[in-house]
Amino acid sequence: MAIGYYYALSALLFTIGLAGVLVRRNALVLFMCVELMLNAVNLTLVAASRMWAGPDGHVFVFFVIVVAASEVVVGLAILVNLFFRRGTLDVDVPQLLRY
Amino acid sequence: MAEAVSFWVFAVLALGSALAVVAMRNIVHAALMLVLNLLAIAGLYLTLQATFISIVQVLVYAGAIMVLFLFVVMLLGVDRDDTLTTAPRLTAVAVAGAALLAVALLAAFVGPYTSPASVCGADTEVAASSDAVRCIGLDEVYGEDGQGGVVLLGEQLFGRYTFPFELAALLLTVATIGAVILARRRDLDPEDLDPEDLDGSEPPPGAAGLGSTSSDALDLDPGTAAADTELVLDTAADDERED
Repeated sequence: MAIGYYYALSALLFTIGLAGVLVRRNALVLFMCVELMLNAVNLTLVAASRMWAGPDGHVFVFFVIVVAASEVVVGLAILVNLFFRRGTLDVDVPQLLRY
Repeated sequence: MAEAVSFWVFAVLALGSALAVVAMRNIVHAALMLVLNLLAIAGLYLTLQATFISIVQVLVYAGAIMVLFLFVVMLLGVDRDDTLTTAPRLTAVAVAGAALLAVALLAAFVGPYTSPASVCGADTEVAASSDAVRCIGLDEVYGEDGQGGVVLLGEQLFGRYTFPFELAALLLTVATIGAVILARRRDLDPEDLDPEDLDGSEPPPGAAGLGSTSSDALDLDPGTAAADTELVLDTAADDERED
């Protein structure tokens, strides 16, 4: 398999995740779509790491997974708080910083 | 050949499940589709000779993170507002923009890398003769025993990337403490409270606003004399909700 097919796949996955972030308004689904985008980038890194025969891509993926885990933990805690205070997960409802 | 077969199988799985995550109306179904997508990407990592990363993907992503997602879905019981979508016109604009980005990415990044010269290992003659981008592959780096993936990653993590590694540890600590602080509930929903629990017994410390349905009750409660900023925030949120 040429490496380009992996790049094409991860470009498509990234775009699907981006479309999901733009289209959906449910905050939980938004987080899932962000995970999709992160995974697409990880796939690119692993493919490039194989292409250039270096471990750096794997190390970057390792760090991206760590950061994604932290992001999900804090983000879901914020979502739980938001749901208990506003009773909805609609991302258009909270407008505390609007004015 | 085997690599091509597994690539196409996992690629179709990943694409289909990613589309399902975006399209499905039921959040639980979307989360399960995301699990399928993460497992398919783990399979792609295996195809790319990244064994350790593949295992980490299954353990951390498909295991821990998705369990956290499903816990939150179950905890909030959010299937009542899962029909949230944007207006159709905005959806069309968003999808068109995403498609444009997809075309741009495919045109910019993919072109030079789909030539026979960028095939790893298999076709070395073409790779050597062509001046296109040549794929090296990880076989030589890993060595004979096949354990090289973990060894190599460990050497890098504790050698060249020690400082980022320590930063990652700090980040995980901060995230854990932040999640604990954020997820602590000070005021329960009035619906969730059993009134008989509140009559005889004193409210537990730290739950000063427990059972108060309005800001007036908060003010009368002596436990809130030392109202910190978060309680003030709670009161403001309650006021806003009552409007």
